[in-house]
Amino acid sequence: MNLNSSQTLTISGQDGVKNGSQHSWEDAKTILKPSTPSKKPPKPENSITIAVSSRVLFNMEKEQQIFEQQGMEEYIKYQVAHETEPFSPGPAFSFVKALEAVNTQLRDLYPESEELFDVVLITNNHAYVGLRLINTINHHQLFIERFCMTGGNSPIGYLKAYNTNLYLSSDPIKVHEALEEGIAAATMFTPEKMTEVSETQLRVAFDGDAVLFSDESEQIYKAHGLDKFFEHEKAHENKPLDHGPLKGFLEVLGKLQKKFYAKGQRMDCPIRTYLVTARSAASSGARALKTLRSWGLEIDEALFLAGAPKGPILEKIRPHIFFDDQMFHVEGAAEMGTVACHVPYGIAQRVPEGKGIKDKEISSIK
Amino acid sequence: MASKVLQRVNERLLEENPAEHQLFDIILITTDSWQQQQSFSIINSTRRHGLEVSRFCFSKEEDFIESLMQNNVQLFLTTDGNEALQATQQGVPSALLDKNSASCPSEQLRVLFCEDAIIQPHAGSTAASQKSAQSFLAQLGQIRQKFGMFNSPVCFTLVTSRGGKDSCCSTLKSLRALGVSVDEAYCLGGAPRGPILSLLRPHLLLSDGFGQLDG
Repeated sequence: MNLNSSQTLTISGQDGVKNGSQHSWEDAKTILKPSTPSKKPPKPENSITIAVSSRVLFNMEKEQQIFEQQGMEEYIKYQVAHETEPFSPGPAFSFVKALEAVNTQLRDLYPESEELFDVVLITNNHAYVGLRLINTINHHQLFIERFCMTGGNSPIGYLKAYNTNLYLSSDPIKVHEALEEGIAAATMFTPEKMTEVSETQLRVAFDGDAVLFSDESEQIYKAHGLDKFFEHEKAHENKPLDHGPLKGFLEVLGKLQKKFYAKGQRMDCPIRTYLVTARSAASSGARALKTLRSWGLEIDEALFLAGAPKGPILEKIRPHIFFDDQMFHVEGAAEMGTVACHVPYGIAQRVPEGKGIKDKEISSIK
Repeated sequence: MASKVLQRVNERLLEENPAEHQLFDIILITTDSWQQQQSFSIINSTRRHGLEVSRFCFSKEEDFIESLMQNNVQLFLTTDGNEALQATQQGVPSALLDKNSASCPSEQLRVLFCEDAIIQPHAGSTAASQKSAQSFLAQLGQIRQKFGMFNSPVCFTLVTSRGGKDSCCSTLKSLRALGVSVDEAYCLGGAPRGPILSLLRPHLLLSDGFGQLDG
């Protein structure tokens, strides 16, 4: 168990003894646990707002089935009847917990700062379901103090009202709408099994093209083929790619990372970022890295797979969340237990799967 | 206009049940003496706009609350915060009309409950005013129940600004106990209210007097 470096209270079996009774290590740890009730959510303009829908935060599969098979009235009746039964965690749960862990560490280092993650629940559900959701949030001790239950209305307006930095939903239509409005968004899927992830270090993995970067290079490939793509990328190595929908999110992560670096926490920073791309280090990778550098952004690890499947490497990295624009990769990642999200952006959405740069690169390298 | 949308609710209520007697009855009251001189044109104007106003009431400023009570007004709508505050203090539940309500969609009456006041909450809201607030809310709740979840001409929204999810939770429960089922709920946790309000476009804002439902 790590002791937070800023805590000044020393613990030892002996020191804890005042009245003669022995305090165990466990007792001492619980005395030190920070109390949560006095925390206030940060103001939206200062914080990094992550909006999650109810179905990605919690597992509502059973209820979803009732809704699809028996309609809204039955669904609401069921929810109200089970109001005190908390839902079990959904795919975004460990991500949200990791965000809170980062917040705790940020608060310790910068007690006055409001530059924190702020998780907001944004759901289409009616307020009738609200009580069950609030009970569940309390049961799991999540720090979510803001929510919108729109009763069926589109959440997009509210996303903008809260300066949302990232929106996660299980509904691809809403995600698409959000992207159209310039909000970073992704459709989250539930893997069959979820591999265990860190509780103290937030790990976020990104695909490159059409996620961090624009889809301009993929367009070249689709229009002119693989060789042209290689030529093009090499020729334009020093010309930064245009930005993609999740560049902004990487940027805010980087800002928080710098706050940890400033306090000497570079080696074991509580936030770690990964680029997991099918680009190859030999040919097209340089342009990706140079682009990031030109934006003043750092990425902790860049993995150029040259077309190899992403699942195995993600299984090693264990990110809390992985963003990709191609369903083929999202599915591959999910199969191996990674919580993967689809970013429905760019040319890959309009051209059939399997014809991306990625797969062709493998055959050319062989 | 709020009247148009109230009329729409009445129409829908009657569609559901032609024998319905729990309808909205609209009374127009004004204390403005200039307006009173124009009483004919006001009356004609409302007729011309197809507004079913059942009574017109012209009174002096200092008496207007008495007029409200004489006419058994259960909800006083005004764009004037002071008037609303005064009326509430005297036991007549009041709501603020959104000044922009003319541009709000008129197919659905959007009622917004704010747990903290647009009018400043005062410590001494009387038992009488709380009772009338509660009974009015209960009636609103009953009206809402006559329609289903979808396509309802009335929509209730709760917005809590200060306080976190737990205070929103207890407000939802209190409203439910009064028979008011809220359709939409927004817990702002301290975030500014302006952006949400401009999205929600309520016709009526119910706050003070309704702010202390736990009694």
